[in-house]
Amino acid sequence: MNILEHTIVFMIAIPFLVASLMILTRPFPEIQKKLNVLVSIVLLILSVYLFSQVWQNGIIAYDIGDWGKYGIVLVADLLSASMVLLSSIITFLALLFSLDYIDDKSQNTTYHSLYNLLIAGLNGTFLTGDLFNLFVFFEILLIASCGLLIANEKVEITPSSHKMEAVYKYLILNIIATLFMLVAIASLYGTLGTLNMADMALRIGYMNENGTLPWHLIPTALLFIVVFGNKAAIFPLHFWLPDAHPTAPSPISAILSGILIKVGAYGFIRFYYLIFEGNLEIFQPIIIFLGLATIIIGSISAVGQDDIKKVLAYHSIGQIGYVFIGIGMGTVYALAAALIYLINHAISKSMLFLVSGCIVHKIGTRDMRKIGGLSSTEPFLGLMFLVGIMSISGLPPTSGFIAKFVLFDAGISGGFYIPILIAVIFSLFTLFSMFKSWQRIFWGEIKDNIFEKENIHQNSKTMLSSLVIMTVIIFVIGLYAEPLIAITLETAEQILDPQLYIDAIIPGEVR
Amino acid sequence: MDTFLLLTISILFGIGTFLILRRDIIKMIIGVVILCHSVHMMIVSVGAFDGIKAPIIESSKYPQPEYIFKDSISEGIFAPVVPESVSVIYMDPLVQALVLTAIVINLAITAFLLILAYRIYEEYGTMDADELRRLRG
Repeated sequence: MNILEHTIVFMIAIPFLVASLMILTRPFPEIQKKLNVLVSIVLLILSVYLFSQVWQNGIIAYDIGDWGKYGIVLVADLLSASMVLLSSIITFLALLFSLDYIDDKSQNTTYHSLYNLLIAGLNGTFLTGDLFNLFVFFEILLIASCGLLIANEKVEITPSSHKMEAVYKYLILNIIATLFMLVAIASLYGTLGTLNMADMALRIGYMNENGTLPWHLIPTALLFIVVFGNKAAIFPLHFWLPDAHPTAPSPISAILSGILIKVGAYGFIRFYYLIFEGNLEIFQPIIIFLGLATIIIGSISAVGQDDIKKVLAYHSIGQIGYVFIGIGMGTVYALAAALIYLINHAISKSMLFLVSGCIVHKIGTRDMRKIGGLSSTEPFLGLMFLVGIMSISGLPPTSGFIAKFVLFDAGISGGFYIPILIAVIFSLFTLFSMFKSWQRIFWGEIKDNIFEKENIHQNSKTMLSSLVIMTVIIFVIGLYAEPLIAITLETAEQILDPQLYIDAIIPGEVR
Repeated sequence: MDTFLLLTISILFGIGTFLILRRDIIKMIIGVVILCHSVHMMIVSVGAFDGIKAPIIESSKYPQPEYIFKDSISEGIFAPVVPESVSVIYMDPLVQALVLTAIVINLAITAFLLILAYRIYEEYGTMDADELRRLRG
């Protein structure tokens, strides 16, 4: 028996196991750190292996307990495998960063075990093929990220009261969203009699063919816009994000902004291209409209902020809108473009949050009005921040240029002129707000008072090395984008052909 | 589905929504819990048919039990959901398993929320949600 057959379940089981081990190893902080880094590397290698397997052999379905479609099924198609790979990269780099950044007391108590729970939640969300299981992993994600949001940095830049307030808003709004999800799941189950996503797609497809689709499935599908929209922080549901992301410690903001809001985009792709595949024309205008509104709100709000991490957080709202118009356009090319945009935003935004973490670590404040002239003392951070903002606002030769170019090209070739026009106009706002904050932090007169604080922390080599790795990824994608475009095109073709997914999970004779 | 069950669910949902819109944090948390309960009742009500026997879904591996329920997509029968014209003698046990999971998750979240409310009271000295405006996000 080949143990690598079980890679899919290892991606979820190993973090859960390690999370409990971390509680037992609390008296040995050094062992905890080393173990967590080791586990992250192992998960990264496993996710690369999983991706290569899916790339070569097609969709892998894994029955837990051999119950077939009646039990929990884990599925790795190209979309899930690439999302797992992305999340493994980001969580590994953020972990490297957090070793020297997070307060020792936080690290020794709960940080590492919650971090592994978060990884398990992410991998589970991307890999599960069962709707109720998706809900369970959403809740694991929610609780783990709430616990991590409260973790303290070494520099005390965010008072606990702010963290409590942010977590309270984040938790209440997300609980209401997950209750909506439960209602939607219950009504889907009551109509279709199954929780397996592939089986649901099969049955809804059958109902569509015969014209017997009950009308209440459409409002149910619209409820999922609330659920995933809340996760992704699209326009009317984004109010928790500008509070929660800046107050979190920087590596956690990197994960929240980089991966966690992408969970919403992933859910949209799964639902509207797999389960409600035949009814896409109802949702397409809604998704595009919400995406555009999100771009407008996020980009404009980012301009007026004084808090460095709040600029980045509002900016995340704007950027997720671009992913959503890509998803809404619904051609192979546009979907591939949305995926490229998603990957680019995950890497660049995580990098920007980590750089802002470095700045905060050194200076001890997040207020850009109190920072100035940093380029004389921190030229390296200035360079890293410049690379990040170039990538996020779409300047060549970085990955952001490829992402924006492909997205706009797909929109124009698909005939969506007005949405693309709006997106282009508001990407100028992005450029403006990002370069404005770069200029305010690194240029201008040197503010003397910033270095007078008692506890100046130096940025350690591990913190900077994770930045360097992200920069390398950004430039590699920017200069040699062909493999990424090929992979995303293949992924988009697989998404748009749900029959492949259904065939992999439900063999013909069981139907 | 029973009319009284439906009424109970909708009234609980209304109470929960009303309480979440209050200013007091504890009332909001109670509202979340009541909302959770109404949603749980809705999940259970999805599987409440007129019967007491569990539906056994056909399997090639195990000997055939007495009550067999078959998927028949061409007739519109999606096990264990059947058209209204077909009478059934079973109830759905899966929703009860689902609701157990949901209740456990709800327990964890309620515990977390209550701790959070206590910490907020320590930091802010008030239970008024309108006073939580230091972030101005």
